[in-house]
Amino acid sequence: MVVCIIALIIFSIAGIWSAKYRQLAKESFGCVFRMMTFRPCISNIDEKIKAKITAKLMKFPTMARFFYKNFKLLSWMFVITFFVSLAYSAYAIYNLVVYGNCEPGTGICIINEGANYFSQFTQLFTCYQAQVIYEIIIVVVVVLLAFKYLKFRTRKQEN
Amino acid sequence: MDVNRIREDFPSLQQKLDGKPIVYMDSACMSLRPRQVIAAMNEYYEKYPGCAGRSSHKFAEKVTEEYSKARTNIAKFIGAKADEIVFTRNTTEGLNLVFNTLLKKDDVVLTTDREHNSNLVPLQILSKKIGIIYKILLSKNDMTFDIDNFQNIMNKDVKLVSVVHSSNLDGYTLPVKDIIKISHDFGALVMLDGAQSVPHKDIDVKKMDVDFLAFSGHKMCGPSGTGVLYGKYHLLEELQPFMVGGDTVAISSYDSHVLLKPPEKFEAGLQNYAGAIGLAKAAEYIDKIGRSNIEGHEIALNEFITEEIKNMPGMNIIGPGVQERGGIISFNINGIGHHDIAIMLDKMANIMVRSGQHCVHSWFNAHKIDGSVRASLYLYNTMEDAKVFIDNLNNIIKLR
Repeated sequence: MVVCIIALIIFSIAGIWSAKYRQLAKESFGCVFRMMTFRPCISNIDEKIKAKITAKLMKFPTMARFFYKNFKLLSWMFVITFFVSLAYSAYAIYNLVVYGNCEPGTGICIINEGANYFSQFTQLFTCYQAQVIYEIIIVVVVVLLAFKYLKFRTRKQEN
Repeated sequence: MDVNRIREDFPSLQQKLDGKPIVYMDSACMSLRPRQVIAAMNEYYEKYPGCAGRSSHKFAEKVTEEYSKARTNIAKFIGAKADEIVFTRNTTEGLNLVFNTLLKKDDVVLTTDREHNSNLVPLQILSKKIGIIYKILLSKNDMTFDIDNFQNIMNKDVKLVSVVHSSNLDGYTLPVKDIIKISHDFGALVMLDGAQSVPHKDIDVKKMDVDFLAFSGHKMCGPSGTGVLYGKYHLLEELQPFMVGGDTVAISSYDSHVLLKPPEKFEAGLQNYAGAIGLAKAAEYIDKIGRSNIEGHEIALNEFITEEIKNMPGMNIIGPGVQERGGIISFNINGIGHHDIAIMLDKMANIMVRSGQHCVHSWFNAHKIDGSVRASLYLYNTMEDAKVFIDNLNNIIKLR
């Protein structure tokens, strides 16, 4: 049921562009509303999400089983992570608004006024945060490559 | 029966979704339509889209003739006479028509514990509204009909025995020949819900001596929103229609009217002419293949599937032995939700089944079961469909 919270946010945003998601957003809202009043979800959108994702994972039976068995726990983890990252993002935006993009004390700035966009972008990599950015990029690339490889292997096996 | 040749008649089976063929196993809810039925309906809309029995122009004459022919063909389909066939929207309407026009205060009705809501809820409402009395006949532990119990409960006070012929819950077919004989011995009328039996079995209402039979067109390759109520003519004559208006009266004045004879007096307003014409074509199509052939084919497939799945871990098949279940397999898997199973079968391999309580909420609630997955077979299902179903079910079982 907790996954309905994320579903509501995602489908509401997607529903701005596509009518298909508006009905799903409506169902998610109904589910969230009932959850807040300690009642079970009528529309079963949480079950549908669980079953659809499990079906997609069936090519990797162990992963599918893990996901299906631990859906509730994974939903809670996902929702908590979502709201924590949302809070941190809000905090970062607050800091940007209040302090600007320069660090008080040292005067080091993320973005220099007057500099061109390319040098501003490269400046990002001169800060200590650059390491984090590098790591994020590497993780994303590795995950994408792994996914592509698994997909290619599965297609090869089917043929 | 050349199933592959039959499948070519069904345009919906020619497509692929996500690159995979369709495995349609939800015919107990809605059957697929062959192009012959679609063509017959299109011909009405394209060539003679008039109204029957009213105007005198060529379109009207043609549709009047085709509508009359449709009634005759449907009558032949179930061994009845044409004036004993009332066109309805579905089985539900047929059952409601009889309940609401036949029953009076203190009338006793017997029904079973595995009825579709359409054969139970109207009785509950009439019980509160006009004071009829209805009793539920419980099945035996093996889910077969308890004919001994029925014989004990039957008495001269029973006005109507209204039971399902073949259950949409588990495919079980009741021993209607015995039920009708016992009922008539006590002077009671018998109405059968034939929604799941007429499309799959050879039915002759005269041989069965059933008093009323309701069935749906959309479960026998006919158009959506079509159905038939059969009633013995003298019984239909005695019933008063509950919906009247155009084409139900021979004449009317400001303060009186004269109703037409059956079946017209029950068919108020402009009818679903395309639907009736399509339904007759569906009946013709099915009879060309032969319902006994269809039934044999379904049972063979069901036997194969049941044999493969019955020993799967956590598998519970609802209902008696496969020989008594026709083309329906209703089941649960411990540890995996029934809706989950249906969604996964659809996502993984376009296997279209139904999940839930199948409008037999009363049985599921009485047995404290949330619901089940129901796969229902028909003339266009193949052994390949069965194997795909079994393989994917095997994968789903591993989630336990």
